Amino acid sequence: MTKIRIVTDSTADLPADIRKQFEIEMVPLQLSFGDETFLDAVTIETDQFYQKLAASEQLPKSSQPSTIAFKELYERILTETPDAQIISIHLSAALSGTYQSAVIGSTMVEIEDAESHLTVFDSKSASIGIGVLVLKAAEMAGSGSSKEQIIAELEKLRAETKIYFLVDTLEYLQKGGRIGKASAVIGSLLNIKPILTLDEDGVVSSIDKVRGQKKAMLRIVELLHEKFNSQEPVTVTFAYAERLEGAQEMNELLKSHFNVQGTTYYELGPVIGTHAGPGTVGLFMHRV
Amino acid sequence: MAAAGAELLNRNAERVNALNVFPVPDGDTGTNMNLTMTSGMKELQGKTSPHLGKVVEALSKGLLMGARGNSGVILSQLFRGFAKSLASSEEAGPAQLAAALQYGVDMAYKAVVKPVEGTILTVAREAAKHAVTIARRTGTADELMREVYEKANEALQRTPEQLPVLKQVGVVDSGGQGLVYIYEGFARVLSTLDATQHEASEASFVTEAALPEDVGMADRLRGTAPARPAAGHSAQARLATEDIEFLYDMEFFIDRSKAAKSAPLFNEQRFKDALAKDGDSILVIESDDVIKVHVHSRKPGDVLNLALPYGELIDIHILNMREQHRDLLDEEGHADAGNLPDSEALAAAEVLTGGAAPQTTSPEQVHEYAPFGIIAVAMGEGIAEILLDNNVDIVLSGGQTMNPSTEDFVKAIEALPAEHIFLLPNNGNIILAAEQAAELAGRSVSVITTRTVPQGLAAALAFREDESIERNSELMKRASESVRSGQVTQAVRDTSIDGIAIREGDFIGIQEKAIVVSTSDLNDACRTLLSGMLEEGGDLITVLTGEDADANVTSQLKQWLNSEHPDVEVEVLEGGQPLYPYVFAVE
Repeated sequence: MTKIRIVTDSTADLPADIRKQFEIEMVPLQLSFGDETFLDAVTIETDQFYQKLAASEQLPKSSQPSTIAFKELYERILTETPDAQIISIHLSAALSGTYQSAVIGSTMVEIEDAESHLTVFDSKSASIGIGVLVLKAAEMAGSGSSKEQIIAELEKLRAETKIYFLVDTLEYLQKGGRIGKASAVIGSLLNIKPILTLDEDGVVSSIDKVRGQKKAMLRIVELLHEKFNSQEPVTVTFAYAERLEGAQEMNELLKSHFNVQGTTYYELGPVIGTHAGPGTVGLFMHRV
Repeated sequence: MAAAGAELLNRNAERVNALNVFPVPDGDTGTNMNLTMTSGMKELQGKTSPHLGKVVEALSKGLLMGARGNSGVILSQLFRGFAKSLASSEEAGPAQLAAALQYGVDMAYKAVVKPVEGTILTVAREAAKHAVTIARRTGTADELMREVYEKANEALQRTPEQLPVLKQVGVVDSGGQGLVYIYEGFARVLSTLDATQHEASEASFVTEAALPEDVGMADRLRGTAPARPAAGHSAQARLATEDIEFLYDMEFFIDRSKAAKSAPLFNEQRFKDALAKDGDSILVIESDDVIKVHVHSRKPGDVLNLALPYGELIDIHILNMREQHRDLLDEEGHADAGNLPDSEALAAAEVLTGGAAPQTTSPEQVHEYAPFGIIAVAMGEGIAEILLDNNVDIVLSGGQTMNPSTEDFVKAIEALPAEHIFLLPNNGNIILAAEQAAELAGRSVSVITTRTVPQGLAAALAFREDESIERNSELMKRASESVRSGQVTQAVRDTSIDGIAIREGDFIGIQEKAIVVSTSDLNDACRTLLSGMLEEGGDLITVLTGEDADANVTSQLKQWLNSEHPDVEVEVLEGGQPLYPYVFAVE
């Protein structure tokens, strides 16, 4: 039987123990605070990162992994397991060059017929939205699904997942220039909570700006109701930046509006965390 | 003839003010109508023509631009129709005059979305109808005008039968009363009545007891006036001439383009601080090459010396306000407060720039047209700042007490380089002026009919740069309707409304348009008002603290909300609005 191996990058926000458990390979993005450079989730942990972020005047920069990093990883896997099928799942191509880098890396592999062993998949998602796809792929691989079955399932799951980020402060979006020109100067005097989403093309867009935490959470419930009714069983995955209680509060609210079958919490990693800022709660909901 | 109408209104503006039903410090129907009429008169000056059509056209244009407050806007529409009808007439007989009055009424009814009977509209309509009926058997214009005046007065006396709130308080409509004064002036001049008869006539007015009142039209803000405004109790009469401390009312412009090469940089704040040493009512507006300065100062020489280094001084006006005040007192047994020193009118009309809105981009510096612009009306530097921070480009100073005129809106529209402009009047009394400006501006302008500052703020926040005009109108309207507004102010007179007894000095809580509480304790007023506002739930309370807010009350209020309504978020912001210690929004 063909062995399926799953590769992702550090922005999937899957902790090391889970990656180990499911034999998931991870390529880190780079983070730099001024002259200091770190490998995401390798030489810097998420909580260390947020401490540095709070202390730093400038926003850190993140950069995609090199093509060589992907090439070497793919070569190592195919050397270890020559008949393996690699599914490499990455951060939305609309947000980062990581996917591009992986695609180029895959063409550089110096092993005969390597291309037929490599599938690079654009998650069109971010954070644990990628992680959910990666875990799905790993789980299906473990139960003997084929590469084609897995890809088909990932595409379906990707289309079915609703993603919202409840951002706690406008500060980081403004510093990073990630919100529209017009909105950049807006709302610093009011307690404004932007709600972001990732659309079907993996592009970040601002859905709404709502005053106050509670109203923002209710607005997300309203948005989720456009996709899910209150009876069908759903699963929720949270990615929180330093504010687990915010995610828990949101979960309680979701449970009173939806048939939530399972909830998982992860930390929101540095790359998305830099732009959305501490306090952000990301949520990913899909049908069971 | 128009002058006489304006004059009589001017003299009686304070009396009209006193007829406002609502006990909040806003009795300004008379002021509004007077300022509207004054603007019409200004336009007339120097345009004397033997051609009647030309004269009334000039008057109408001035009225349209100067219109402020609902009654003022309606007045301007009455004259707009009047002028249109007479446009090609060199002179007018009774028939034409009657037709013109009727045409004015038609125009005014069209301009008002929901005409309310028992107001200036009713008075104008019944008078015009009567004029049309009798025109054929009336020999002269002056005879007709006299009939019109009498009919208008009869109609006025009936307004309490048509509008329950007037009856409740025992007054007639104030806007209607203003119009009657104007018609009376017309009639007098036409029949060359001697001005000496004024006093007699006024006496008869008072004895007619049920004097008018206003019902600010669609806006049903009301209060009570004593049925008989006490003569000699005008605000100005109570002020001793010697109390005017900063007695020189100064206004001038600094022309920066003519400044010496070595001229210092102009620092607005520092300049204002320097003026404040010996002055008040300070207004400094910087635009491109010209700085407008207005101040009441006790040392006019110092003020000019202070300004000199920055450029050439032009258009200098200096008035002694004590002298003005003495004249005023001498003039007419001080029955008149409509003749406000120009500072008041000026302050109301000016765009809040500088201190209140340092971030506003001067339109002259921007050559590209933005797709959208927003102009809002508000009182209070804090509120202005919040609005400017949330999509609003220009904040006009104004509110319940000082309504910006149509012209103020038109000027702001002209100054804003945007393809489409939204107006947020933020007060029921300002909506009509905004709508009139939208019509006159000759630009793409729409009015979002916000009636309170909380509504305006919600609307401003809902604006989306990337959406269409229609979608934005819808979003802003919906947002403004989703917020509940409450205001706390102090009653300016004893009265009773909707079964609530109100004593002068009481703190009254107003939810939307209705008074829900009146008590001597500010804390109680806030709590009762907020409890009512929260009856249907709410997730967020915004507290805008005014000039007269009390820090202790504010913190007690916060504690109380946290313990009584723990699920509701509370945001306290410094609004800085005058007269209203607290403005609340629940959403």
